Formats: sequence, C-alpha cells, structure tokens
Amino acid sequence: MSRECPVRISQEPGLSRSSLVVGWSIDPGRLGWRTTGYLNRKLEGQEFAEIEPECFFALSGVAVKDDLARFPASKFCACPQHDLVVFSSDYPEVEWHRFLNSVLDVAVQRCGMTELYIIGAMVSWSAHTDPRQLFTVVNSEHMKEALSGYDLMQDMDYQTPPGERPTLNAFLLWVARMRGIPAASLWVPIPFYLAGTGDAQAQREVLGFLDQRLDLKLDFDDLDEEVRAQNQCLARARSDSAQIDDYIGRLESSLRLSDEESAELVRRIEGLIRQGD
Amino acid sequence: MAVKYDHRPELESPVLVASWPGIGNIGIIVVDALRGMLEAEEFAEIEPWGFFHPRRAVISKGVLEHLVFPSSKFYFKKTEPRDVVLFLGEEQPGVGGGTYGEGSKAYRMANLVLDVAEELGCSRVYTSGAAVALTHHTMRPRVWAVPNSPRLISEIRGYDNTALMSGVEGGDGQGNITGLNGLLLGVAKKRGFEAICLMGEIPVYLQGLPLSYPRASRSVLEVLCRSLGIDAPLAQLDESAEEVDRSIDDFYRQIPGEIRTQLDRLKHETYSQPAEPGPITDEEKRRIMADVEMFFTKRGEGI
Repeated sequence: MSRECPVRISQEPGLSRSSLVVGWSIDPGRLGWRTTGYLNRKLEGQEFAEIEPECFFALSGVAVKDDLARFPASKFCACPQHDLVVFSSDYPEVEWHRFLNSVLDVAVQRCGMTELYIIGAMVSWSAHTDPRQLFTVVNSEHMKEALSGYDLMQDMDYQTPPGERPTLNAFLLWVARMRGIPAASLWVPIPFYLAGTGDAQAQREVLGFLDQRLDLKLDFDDLDEEVRAQNQCLARARSDSAQIDDYIGRLESSLRLSDEESAELVRRIEGLIRQGD
Repeated sequence: MAVKYDHRPELESPVLVASWPGIGNIGIIVVDALRGMLEAEEFAEIEPWGFFHPRRAVISKGVLEHLVFPSSKFYFKKTEPRDVVLFLGEEQPGVGGGTYGEGSKAYRMANLVLDVAEELGCSRVYTSGAAVALTHHTMRPRVWAVPNSPRLISEIRGYDNTALMSGVEGGDGQGNITGLNGLLLGVAKKRGFEAICLMGEIPVYLQGLPLSYPRASRSVLEVLCRSLGIDAPLAQLDESAEEVDRSIDDFYRQIPGEIRTQLDRLKHETYSQPAEPGPITDEEKRRIMADVEMFFTKRGEGI
C-alpha cells in the first residue's frame, strides 16, 4: 500500500484476476459516474473499499448540488462473477499521484487487477443525431493491439495545448504504464446541450464496448429504452419549436451556433429534459 | 519522492545556488545564466510526479507517449576558486495550483534539495528571487540580501550595490520572502547550512506583468559572481535586458500621464539613507502605490 494511504477495506472482494473500470463524477453528462453506477447496479457490485477523503480533498465545507449536501466519495465495488472491479470517485483536488497509486494499489493487491479502463467524455459541438464514436487512448502498443478488433477510434494524435494541463485520465494511464498495467482511456463525445443532463446514447456506447470486451453479458433493454426516450424528447422539442429545430439542423450540417444560440439551446433542452424527469 | 542521480560528482567545498520561478523570473534567470556561462553539467533530478500535476500529454497514434512534468534539476561545475552546484526548479510545488510553493510539498522539496547539498558537501546555499521595490525601471536594480545567520551580515555589507533589509523600505529589517526561494533559506538554517537569498529589485509597477526582468537578474549575478570569485561574462543578459526594456517602454507609455509623472519621481528614490527624508516622502510613496494599484485594477476590468 502507498505510504500513509488512507484506504478503508470493509471486506475482501474475492477477486484474483480482474479488470478495473474507473469513472469520475465530473465528466460532461456525468458519464463516468453514470456508467460505473449502471455496472454496479446490473452486476450487483458489492462495495468493499473506500479511499478516505482527507488527504485528497480540501474538505473546507460541504458542497450542495441539486438541493443535497454532497461529500467526496471514492468507492470500490467488486463484481466477482465477472472478475470486475468498479471504482467511482469524485475528482481528487490534490495529491493526484498518490491518489492514483492508491487506486491501483487496492485493485492490484486486493483484486489481482490486470487491465484498466477509464471512462471519459468530451463536449462536442455536433448534434445528438450524429453517431457517438468511441475514442481511445492506450498506454502501450500491446493494449492497442488488444483493442484493435473493436469499433474504436484509435489513432488520435494530440498534445496538451499551451496553458492547459493534462487530465487525470492521462495521469492515470501514465501511472498504470509505470507499473506495467495495460490501460485504455475511453472518450465519448457528448453534444454540448446534453452535457449538463446526461446522454444515454453515450452511456450505451461505452457500456456496449465494455460488455463486449469484458464479456459481461449485460441486458441493455432498460438503457435502450432510455436512449429511445431521450431521442423522442429531443424529436418532440424539434417539432414543437422551429428555433430548436433550426439550431439542431445547423449542427447536423456542421455549422456552428453563436454563443447566444448555443446557450439558448442548452437552456431549452435542459428545461425539457428536467421537466420529463 | 526521491532524487534520481545520473552520477554523483566528486566536488570540493561546493556552494549550491538554487532558484524557482517567481516575479520577473529574476532568480531562475540568474541560475540559468550561470549554468550557461559555466557550461554546468546535469547530474540529478528530483522525481516530479509526487510534487506536480503534469504539464503536457503527448499522444501519438492513440498511444500515450509522454507525460511531461515540470523539471527540478541539479547541475555542477568544477571550477576555481570553488566548485558550484546549481538547482533549477521549473515550478514551485504547493497547494491549489498557486505560483508559490507552500505546505508539506514545498517543505519536502526544500529538504530534498538540501539532501543533495549535504551529500555533495556544500558549505553554503544561495537562493535568488525578486524584491518588489519603489524604484524606476531606468535605474540600476539593487540587490536585497537576506542571510540566515548573523555572522553573514558583515560579509553582505561588503557586497556592492546590495542592501540588507534594514537598509530598504521602512528600514526596520522586516519583510517576507514568499515561496521556495525564501523557504529554502529557513530550512537551510534548520539543517545547519549558512544561506543567503539575493533578490533583485523590480519596480512595483512591473510586478504584475507577465515578463521577465533580466536587468535585476544581472544585478544579482554581479553580486553572486563576485561572492563566488567567478569571472563570468554578463553581456548576454544585457541583450535580453534591452529587449525587455523595449516592451517596458511600450507599457510605460500607456500609463496615464498623471500617474507616469508620479512614477518618474521614483528615479530619485534611494535607500542609502532610509532614516533621513528622501526626495519622496512616505505620504507620496503611499499615493504612488495607490495610483499604481488603481491603474492596474482598471486595466484588469478592461477600462
């Protein structure tokens, strides 16, 4: 275990050769959080460990979101029937290196983790009717080869632009590489007007890949129904409002909206989706 | 968090000169210039990942090729009359992404730097940074020196163009050295190293600008080279100082005339006799500071 690593183990997970799926709470559309939550729900994941927050979060008070007080959480669940560990966490504020090593310590030492998948989303300026292509960045040629048979965009070239910093996902990929753990981060583009409320289609894409790769045999009826409901809601919005239809139509034609138009589309769509909820 | 050595040089009574970025990058320009002049050789690095967030990811054909971190490197030069060890930190480690090092990470880094100094037998440590001063950019910047031991005071009094804290500002010998350029001085004291921080003056109205101030670095380097007995060519710093001077002149012309008139009076400011009434009274200094602050506040608001 890492030096002074504040990990609380509540039970032995009963895994010996597992894969780890990591999701964060702050992705666009909370994709990582929703996806790990879905996996835990469908595969009856049992919580077995938690990273205590005191070393990694400011804890200067408590955040309130959607009327509720929130407290940082970083939890591991085990799905023994599928050799799967699911880690869901808030984004650590400090000590990234130590935090990420703590995650890998638990997964390797307690669960014999051999492969890592990190879920990420990026805000896209395209329409929801465009396909959600799954992008991946891996930490070794070996992992690239292992994923070559899947429907993934694998050949991305990228450098962090000046003034920006690499993401926690890139850091985790690198920490895993330093420890010889094959890892892939998965990126799904989410239309900007769904980034605040969630995108069932993006979630379906990620889960579809994980299902195939990890042989999870998930039944997606419920999620497919969510995708249908989302698409119906958006189709209704278009038919009820010429303005929304115009905005989305322009996005479908690869035209950019102005800042004001984008903000208006977000406001209208989020309002409708929240009403539906 | 460890020091990774390429090799361990054999040195005779070396001194360590260390710096991290700060206002005007005065300190790191000093150490970097010294490194270039001496053609110092890199020999060790502090592993960065426990201290810093990465700066840049390089992904090639879908594979993460590099994650680039701020570097914290050591260099050495065997030279007469004494060997020199240099340390250059690209960033200060701290909490919350601030510019200045603070907290346990900064303390740990200071100790790692001194671990190397101790292992190589360094007898003395120099750090370098900026002294924000009521001075004018056309004036030759002075050097403020802060030692960590009383027995160094008489030595510093013999330095040219250099003042102790009692010779500047309020003349009461008080002040703060923010970040690792100051913290190292304190940790060195705790561990029994004698240490001096040399700070080059930067005019108060330039402190918020995103530019380096090599004029001040030159002043520090003059003092440092004399103290170390090194005869180093400083002409290359003059070239970069002239380039920066042109940017400063452009900026200065944008300052409203009334404030500029006030600032022009700083050309007459002197710390040589701080207890006596100078050409600018304390009240006038306060007014200049208030005017400068208001000017920058308005600039920040886009006015």
